[in-house]
Amino acid sequence: MSYELSVNGRRESVDVPGMTPLLDVLRDELSLRGAKKGCAEGRCGACTVRLGDRTVASCLLPVAVATDEPISTVEGVAAPDGPLHPVQEALLECGGVQCGACTPGMVMTLCDLLEADPDPDAQSVRQALVGNICRCTGYHKIVEAALSAAAALREAR
Amino acid sequence: MTTAGGNGSGSGAIGRRVRRADGEPKVRGSAIYGMDHIEPGMLHAAVRRAEVPAARIVRLDTTAAARMPGVRAVATAADAPGLSGMLVLKDQSVFASEVIRYVGEPIAAVAADTPAQAAAAAAAIELELEPLDPVLDLDTALDSGTRLIHPDWESYQTLVPGPRGGNLAWEARLERGDVAAAFASAYQVVSDEFRVPRQHQSPIEPHAAVARYDHGRFTVHTPSQFPYLVRGRVAELLGVRPSAVRIVVPTIGGGFGGKLDALLEPLACVLARKAGRPVQVLNTRADELRTAGPRENAIVRLRTAVDADGRILAQDGHILADNGANSSGETVACAGVAPLALGGTYRIPAARYLSQVVYTNTPPTAAFRGVNGPYCIYAQEMHMDHIARELGIDRREIRLRNVLRPGQKMVNGQVLSDAFLVEALESVEARAPWAELTARSRPLRGVAVVPVTWITNPGPAEASLKLAEDGTVMVTCAAAEIGTGAVTTGVRQIVAETLSVPIEDVLISAPDTDAGGYDHGAQGSRTTYGMGKAAGDAAEQVRDQILQTAADLLEASPEDLELVGGQVQVVGAPDAAVTLAAVGAAAMWAGGPISASGRFVSPPVPFDAGCMAGALFTHFSAASYHAHLAEVEVDPDTGVVTILRYVVAQDVGRAINPTMIEGQVHGGVAQGLGYAMLENLRLDDAGRVLDAGLESYRLPTALDVPPVDLEILENPCSSGPFGAKGAAEPPIVPVAAVIACAVADAIGRPINELPVSPFAVLGALRQGADVVGAST
Repeated sequence: MSYELSVNGRRESVDVPGMTPLLDVLRDELSLRGAKKGCAEGRCGACTVRLGDRTVASCLLPVAVATDEPISTVEGVAAPDGPLHPVQEALLECGGVQCGACTPGMVMTLCDLLEADPDPDAQSVRQALVGNICRCTGYHKIVEAALSAAAALREAR
Repeated sequence: MTTAGGNGSGSGAIGRRVRRADGEPKVRGSAIYGMDHIEPGMLHAAVRRAEVPAARIVRLDTTAAARMPGVRAVATAADAPGLSGMLVLKDQSVFASEVIRYVGEPIAAVAADTPAQAAAAAAAIELELEPLDPVLDLDTALDSGTRLIHPDWESYQTLVPGPRGGNLAWEARLERGDVAAAFASAYQVVSDEFRVPRQHQSPIEPHAAVARYDHGRFTVHTPSQFPYLVRGRVAELLGVRPSAVRIVVPTIGGGFGGKLDALLEPLACVLARKAGRPVQVLNTRADELRTAGPRENAIVRLRTAVDADGRILAQDGHILADNGANSSGETVACAGVAPLALGGTYRIPAARYLSQVVYTNTPPTAAFRGVNGPYCIYAQEMHMDHIARELGIDRREIRLRNVLRPGQKMVNGQVLSDAFLVEALESVEARAPWAELTARSRPLRGVAVVPVTWITNPGPAEASLKLAEDGTVMVTCAAAEIGTGAVTTGVRQIVAETLSVPIEDVLISAPDTDAGGYDHGAQGSRTTYGMGKAAGDAAEQVRDQILQTAADLLEASPEDLELVGGQVQVVGAPDAAVTLAAVGAAAMWAGGPISASGRFVSPPVPFDAGCMAGALFTHFSAASYHAHLAEVEVDPDTGVVTILRYVVAQDVGRAINPTMIEGQVHGGVAQGLGYAMLENLRLDDAGRVLDAGLESYRLPTALDVPPVDLEILENPCSSGPFGAKGAAEPPIVPVAAVIACAVADAIGRPINELPVSPFAVLGALRQGADVVGAST
């Protein structure tokens, strides 16, 4: 079955069964290996991408239902040869990245949060991150990064 | 700012919050992790695993499977006859040959064009089994009459002689002082028993390996914490020499001890050799939880003789740790750590410890950050609270009375000349005064404070440095960047400081055992300490070569030169200077390219060698000292524990990068909290892992972790680079202890089992009358 997708602003056409998880399509068909298959059961959040105006666990989402809205992945957050997005910048500056396997999902969740709520408090950041497991950092520096990125984004507006 | 020697003012790199060199690819999603690595023509593997815990293999027929579509190779025990084990005891094979010893044990593996074809063929392998009596219970595995899991145990090779026999895989003993006399003369004797479950490392990236085979050599891409160990273990299991195996390490998506040893690599190698094509073996999350070795379940029994003031006179301890079905993990190698953990913080003049590692028909257990420390410290601290209660002594006070002071001896006779436990307790006290916290004495609120001494792994390291034509420095080594930043910040900062070059000018190669010299792995907090020192040693030699070459160029004596900001200048005459790029170019045709190798192993530490048997770890090298305090509140209706306050004082020797240290402390506390309150890798009565997904194996989320009030203490260590000690492991070690003791204080009942789940708390609350006086 052939599906037309919009991924990071590009039109992509893939020929896979409709129940193929979006994550497998991104990784295996489109060579976008930023999103990770951490658990394949929608719990760890390392596969988080944005579909339209929300985040989804791409490991559970059949590609057949991902055709109507634009998909954005961590690779589309900043141009490959351009400066980092403030969320990415803050994660590095605050030490919110250790092994980094959860980071692509964290970046997508935080971008989504900061678009919906430009001035969140620490507790709402924690609430937003509950679907993204980080085994390394204990989360504090990720929360700090989110607040710092929010301030930078507000300043830039 | 101190430097490693003269001739340099340093670059100010030490103590700076330098960003990690691998950060940009990680936040952009372009970093290639082990699970992302693919090769042209790569095949996919599926493993046929045992579904019963104990059976004899009567018939194994792969004929039909081998003929299925897309199948390129099928491997069984006949293809990998070697026996190996993690350092000590060689009782493990790649595949079960005649006998199945645990649920999940590999029996055969298939490589095919697609994962689905491989899975279909693995399922089509014909297998006939004759069931054996499974031995699942740690308590009864050593009873006479219990079936032996390894009837051939005597034939297995060992690294060193050690007490063992039957279902006793290994034993470490420590005996020092007159224990019997101390117990006979004691004011009081207190006894306890504690039980802890398995805890799974659960890094976000599952195990993954891609192997290829060319002309007698294997190349394996694998996210390994300890590439040289995997190299040796693959070689032994496949019956080839270690130099026939090359391990290349892509970005590692977390390990925490779980990726120290070989797991999937031997399977990938066997299949790649048979198929003549690269083969990928990739774990699912269920494979991870079922078969990648977790921290062992254990029973700790403590009996302590004390005087009327609560001073410890002697301790008798028995640790029973579950090895699982073989010694492919570190449980045997770490048996000797338990006595050191129990006897490293308090003065215990006489002790007898028996640390037994027991075979069961369960998945093999392995290393997890802090190895047996978290449960030994939990047991010791809950036991200390019991002693305090019996004697009516304040719980902080009894710790102060017993805690080791500078110049006093650990239980192995090792003198801790730099002991810093009182300072650590005082640091916590300054921020969370004990009298205030305990005076409140509110029902269902509890508090606890725990001091702890911990080890830095002493293992060897080698690093090579070269000065490039552009004045940058390349460090080549096999140290794995597991995520701590030890390689991508710490080692680079040490080199930058020694050579007075900007941190951006220090590059570091990816680990590859064909290129980098030996490194003892990202374990036991050792990378900044051990590899940092080796790289620093190489940098000092490179600095000497730079100064010698520059002296010729500047027509000055090397003693009159200094390295500043990437150039060499005459002291007091900065106009007379030459860049490192020019020095590198000049050296090329003068003495040859500027380069050097540095090496390190932790210096020997005197201890009473006669007091231990069967121990690979005999002392605490580069010991560090810590204190944690927790205040908790218990909801009596739900059993939920809320951590109101968490305070840490951590001795790091010297803080090379405070941001990275804070990250280790936050992460260690979170994992310790998981161990204390949430995580329990359960097995059912048929030896099957029940928690095969993250829905039931609950990892801490952003809502579970309390803020951590941390003070970094600098108590320099003479053997570490710029005084640094290990920093990554200690923060997990006392967490379960301090949380469990605080909860026990809150509910007025001891907690003799982990995790302290809401169900456990409710159970304890409903046990009837108070058995413990509330608060101190």
